[in-house]
Amino acid sequence: MEIRIKSVSKDFFSESKRIKALANVDLTIPANQIFTLLGPSGCGKTTLLRCIVGLETPDSGEIAIGEEIVYSKEKNIFVPPEKRGLSMVFQTYAIWPHMTVFDNVAYPLQIRKEPKEEIRSKVEKTLQFVQLEGFENRPATKLSGGQQQRVALARALIPEPKVILFDEPLSNLDAKLREETRKELRSFLTELKITAVYVTHDRIEALSLSDTIAVMKDGRIVDIGTPKNIYFDSDHRFVADFIGQANLIDGKVMATEDSYTIVDSSIGTIACQKSPTTSVGNAVTICIRPEFIRVVEGDTSEGINIFLGRVESLLFVGDAYEGEIIIADTRLIIRIEPTTIVEEGDEIALSLDPDHCFVLSK
Amino acid sequence: MNSTMFNTRTALTPSLIAIVGFLTVCPVVMLVFGSFSEGIGAFGKFTLEKYIQSYTDPEFAKIIINTIIFTIGSAFVATLLALFLAYLNTRTNIPFKFLFRIISIIPMMIPHILFSVSWVLLLNPSNGLINLLLRQVLNLQNSPFNIYSLRGMILVEGLLDLPIAYLILAPAMAAFDVSLEESSKVSGASNLRTLTRVTLPVLRPAILASFILVIVRSLASFAVPSIVGMPGRIYVLSTHIYRIIATGFAADFGMAAAVGMSALAASISLIYLYRYLTSESEKYVTISSRGYRPALIELKNAKYPLFGIVALLSFVLIVLPVLVLFYTSLVPYSMVPSAKAFSMMSWKHWLEVLSDPISLLSLKNSVFLGVVGATLGVILSIFVSYVIVKVRTRAAGLLESLSFLSFSFPGIVIGVGFMWFFVRTPLYATIWSLLIGYIATYLPYGIRPLSSAFIQIHSHLEESSRVCGGGTLYTLRRIVIPLLIPGIVSGWILMATMFVRELTLSVVLSRPGTEVLAVQILRFAEDGLWGTLSALGIMMIFISTTLVVVASLIGMKLTKVEETSQ
Repeated sequence: MEIRIKSVSKDFFSESKRIKALANVDLTIPANQIFTLLGPSGCGKTTLLRCIVGLETPDSGEIAIGEEIVYSKEKNIFVPPEKRGLSMVFQTYAIWPHMTVFDNVAYPLQIRKEPKEEIRSKVEKTLQFVQLEGFENRPATKLSGGQQQRVALARALIPEPKVILFDEPLSNLDAKLREETRKELRSFLTELKITAVYVTHDRIEALSLSDTIAVMKDGRIVDIGTPKNIYFDSDHRFVADFIGQANLIDGKVMATEDSYTIVDSSIGTIACQKSPTTSVGNAVTICIRPEFIRVVEGDTSEGINIFLGRVESLLFVGDAYEGEIIIADTRLIIRIEPTTIVEEGDEIALSLDPDHCFVLSK
Repeated sequence: MNSTMFNTRTALTPSLIAIVGFLTVCPVVMLVFGSFSEGIGAFGKFTLEKYIQSYTDPEFAKIIINTIIFTIGSAFVATLLALFLAYLNTRTNIPFKFLFRIISIIPMMIPHILFSVSWVLLLNPSNGLINLLLRQVLNLQNSPFNIYSLRGMILVEGLLDLPIAYLILAPAMAAFDVSLEESSKVSGASNLRTLTRVTLPVLRPAILASFILVIVRSLASFAVPSIVGMPGRIYVLSTHIYRIIATGFAADFGMAAAVGMSALAASISLIYLYRYLTSESEKYVTISSRGYRPALIELKNAKYPLFGIVALLSFVLIVLPVLVLFYTSLVPYSMVPSAKAFSMMSWKHWLEVLSDPISLLSLKNSVFLGVVGATLGVILSIFVSYVIVKVRTRAAGLLESLSFLSFSFPGIVIGVGFMWFFVRTPLYATIWSLLIGYIATYLPYGIRPLSSAFIQIHSHLEESSRVCGGGTLYTLRRIVIPLLIPGIVSGWILMATMFVRELTLSVVLSRPGTEVLAVQILRFAEDGLWGTLSALGIMMIFISTTLVVVASLIGMKLTKVEETSQ
């Protein structure tokens, strides 16, 4: 089901200060997609999720889930969370400690007063789906973090909702388990074909899990796109910086050629991916990710975007060296193949892939 | 979140502040006014007369010295014993560790007045059982021990406060960062040297906290000073106040208030010091590393002798008092256990109690106060804890401070304050005055377990039920209340057992017609009717235990229902 959010605002008051949690958010979440709200803590992503599910009331605007308006300031509509027919997986899992796994999962069906036999078979099926068969009679508190997470997922799936909301569901798991659960979750959700709204501050989680990502900052949506769009083509300095390691270089547009935009910067003249929105003389920021900077061995007279620099530091991180290179007082982070022979203090030549040098206008 | 809920919430906090504020501040205000007036009848005129009268009394200096020796002595006994036990339990391989849990909990179930009586029965100079026995065996002229002394008071009070000192020290010792000790040992220090140079200094805030808490409790203690101290004419502040209002020809509540002011001031300052120290010791604890089990110290040859001491302590703390009381309730007069004694045993004293109208009335009153008082107290605690934990506005913070204020009030002093209040209301000399006083004084005992229960109910647990389709009432029934039940049960048990045995407040507020068990036991002790006293005392223990068992069973049943209802 599609979710439409129209100019939704919400303020919080904390110690008599007004904090804008949501500032006129307009957003359409397409049906049957995994849609992620990504942003640093305090950006309003959880507030937006809680407004969708009905645990917070916005100050103004309108929210519709499918055909039904669940909140509208103008029309004075507020559907309470229990009437919205959604499911949610909480950051803390919110497993009820006084119940067994069975009761935790069966709860939504017990509320609907479905026949006991039906509940039993549905719970069995759902637990099988999340690979927890045979755990019915365990007290819910006797489970590991990963298992509790799956109970929470089973509880969200069992009423067969059209929309599931996830509030940072993996943040309490340890790194390895988080990676496994992420993959599982992705396959569960693709198999089910439902709308999933997923809140996280973890960019890897967002990139690997989502069909669409909306990046939020200070209560606003900064950018929306597919993971690749967001990672490679975002037009925003904040997004480029937040979504991955990025070298940001300030400069000024010198010329616009057929294939490249030429920018004059502190390290010299850089040929960048063509930017249609800028014209000569504009002050811009160039973004280049570490993986698109290469060490050039041998002849350095040929080719474009070749710069000479000094290796300031080298950090071996397993699959590569993470290097800091100083070019004319500007510091660049690069990734160097572990087989390359470099040492701290060396003078080396770098080539910046022009197709991955982005000109950011904002 | 919706507007009606918000309205009830905003109305809830001020009304609770009014109720709790009345319960805790009213007696203090009345005490202050009372201390500056001419007597309980006359309120209007401001005078320092009562202060001059009480603080220039030549005996007063002696009473203060007695109080200081008694409280500090008890603090030493309790803290040293608790340190010893806590160290053995958390850090050594001593066997039968379950005993330590029993030592730390069970003595709280035995009313202080009965514990004191049992020691009087063992060690009083004229016919204490141990004295009689030693005189027979060693052929002595005089009794070797006299419990009616400052030393006797310190011994009994120290043992009574041992559990509370242990409950402060044992967790501090368990949370202690062992690597501090290990690095001392790596530097070549012996176990003993490590203990004195590293372990004890690091634990100093916890040790001081326990020390101060025991001082506060012994300052407020009335059972030991009245049962053990008064027969030897040794008076401390609490018994001095009692003497002013309850003995002699004219009860002088003005003077009692004036004396009470210094006890109250001392107690409140000590509690502030205690709070400061506990926050200090928590600082130490949070620095320490995660809770991996420290290597236990091998006791080797000392293992069983040390265990012997622990076993003896638990015998003395738990078994002996009940045994002595039960024995005394059956024999006609004090005699060493012997074939003759056993042949003379009868239920005479029990029948006396059951035919004594005042004893029966006190039984009835105490059960009523226990059941009804604890129920009302827990209901109030539920609302107060809800506001403290879940509402968390500035007003809620005020409510929290108010509700823990009474923790630092010595019972007899607050009783005097309440007396000044109740005398002006129709509640005077009714059971309701006792009920209100009890709830006011023991409110923290209800609030503590309930606030931890509320803390456990993370808002996500309710929210997730709402999202699953459960309305407000459904969520309350299936999520909130079941999770609260353990807190409700333990709060009720704590309050009910406190109320059934209540002495210090009751000696002031109880009047003819509103006698309660502990006061009746005090009367029997003053008259030397030890057999009857013991029979009534055993009944009192039986009632407390029954209340505990019934409440736990109800709690278990209520939580079970939830698990099996599918």
